[in-house]
Amino acid sequence: MIHSLNRRASMYGALFAMIPKMFMAYQLWFWAGLVMNIISITILYFFWDAIYANATIISGLTREQTLNYVLLAFFFMPLVSNDLLWEFGSNLREGLMIHHLLRPVNFQAMNYAQQLGGLVTRMAFQLPIMLLAMFLFDMQFPADLNTWVAFLLSALLGFTAMFFFSWLMACMAFYTTEIWGLGVLLEGITIFFSGSLVPLAMMPAWLRGIVLSVPFAQALAVPVGLLAGITPVSDAPRIWLIQLGWIISMWILSNLVFRVAVRKITVQGG
Amino acid sequence: MTRYLDLYWLFLIQRLKTLMEYRASFILGAASTISLQAASIAAVWVVMQKVPSLNGWSYNEVLMVYGFVTLTKSINHMFADNLWTIGRVYIRTGGFDRFLVRPIDPLFHLLADRFCQDGVGNFVVGIALVIKTSIDLGIEWTLPKALMLIVATISGGVIFIALNLITAVSSFWVIDSVPVTRLVFDNHLFAQYPLTIYPRAISVLLTWVIPYGFASFYPASYLLGREIGNLAWLSPFIAAFLMFIGYRFWQFGLRYYSGTGS
Repeated sequence: MIHSLNRRASMYGALFAMIPKMFMAYQLWFWAGLVMNIISITILYFFWDAIYANATIISGLTREQTLNYVLLAFFFMPLVSNDLLWEFGSNLREGLMIHHLLRPVNFQAMNYAQQLGGLVTRMAFQLPIMLLAMFLFDMQFPADLNTWVAFLLSALLGFTAMFFFSWLMACMAFYTTEIWGLGVLLEGITIFFSGSLVPLAMMPAWLRGIVLSVPFAQALAVPVGLLAGITPVSDAPRIWLIQLGWIISMWILSNLVFRVAVRKITVQGG
Repeated sequence: MTRYLDLYWLFLIQRLKTLMEYRASFILGAASTISLQAASIAAVWVVMQKVPSLNGWSYNEVLMVYGFVTLTKSINHMFADNLWTIGRVYIRTGGFDRFLVRPIDPLFHLLADRFCQDGVGNFVVGIALVIKTSIDLGIEWTLPKALMLIVATISGGVIFIALNLITAVSSFWVIDSVPVTRLVFDNHLFAQYPLTIYPRAISVLLTWVIPYGFASFYPASYLLGREIGNLAWLSPFIAAFLMFIGYRFWQFGLRYYSGTGS
């Protein structure tokens, strides 16, 4: 009797404990994410601080400008990273692609809306660490309204160009069943070519040429350059036009490639 | 001991057989992580073309520190990757119970269960960076220095594994231990650069509390003939101490393990 009562108590006790455990898991992720970001920006700060120990201006940039740029680039990383490749990969693996294509909405437009929603969400999650950086490392946002307008439009255009380019890359999922390696490879390329680690001005001319011949920087280095005050606002119209050119060319190319790739569809069960 | 070595060998052969079934993804997995290292190294290269000294450290010297942390981290990645997945893959599914009824140590079983090929790329990059920079800097490979390379690689790897073990034990309570592990593990990023660029509190933290400094900065300093590098000879003792703590904590955690009911 007592024995069975004990057993029951421990069983229901375990069930009771499940919910706090699950709740704690989400909490833990939040705090871990915050600490991870603090570590990253601390390293960024002291790395650049040491670099500027013996120089006042590097490639025309002061210590404050560079620090502001790399910190802002860190926060606006969501502009350049979307998960289209993983999305395509999992859709194909689970055999859902065909359902999406049969729906009476434009498949690409649907994905764009979703990725835009994802961008807003991820930016919202960057807010706490953004405040910390302003407090700890004196990161500054411009007070000038024109700069903000120039930045926001350029960020939206760059994000859109990057979306179509990622669409192009995601089409590779039709040809391979293994996208993990591809995804990580693309991540490394994105981190460097978006200009998230080093201001473009510091790169040798030949390297900057390569970086600007692919669209990654359009979504990060270009808009953040405006926000950090490295690029003058008077350049904004020219920048918008270039970004528009990227959008149109990537839009055409991504649709052409998708049309060819979709015929290669291999359904791995599901 | 020899029994466990033999067993590990058998586990490894089985694992490699599976991996070879998917040869393309094996190679992609092993190679892909290189692109992340390449991005960071390229950034350091660009900056140090402009400013040749990071707080008194040359480009090649910085790269050697980076190489060491990549190398020691890869040991953890190859041989102890299951400490990341224990919660999600083994405990949540109930698969962990399998280890408890087998006549071998459950921790050994967990680690031997999956050799992770994704670490191979980092291992190659790490060792190549250390060797390349030592040649460029004209470092003479004396016996103590060669010995240090081996001692530091193993000790550094064990430091990574032990810290991940200590934090992974939390999975017995919270199931998914990944965020807890990340809290500690991400501090190794500090050790990618010479610890002297940080304020004193951070270098003390990375030396005596979360001692990733012994997996990169101190052995690199030793090879570079910097005085502070002599501390690197402490690394095997620190590794052994952490592993001891980790194993005791693991045994303590096991007593609380009750399964998830799946």
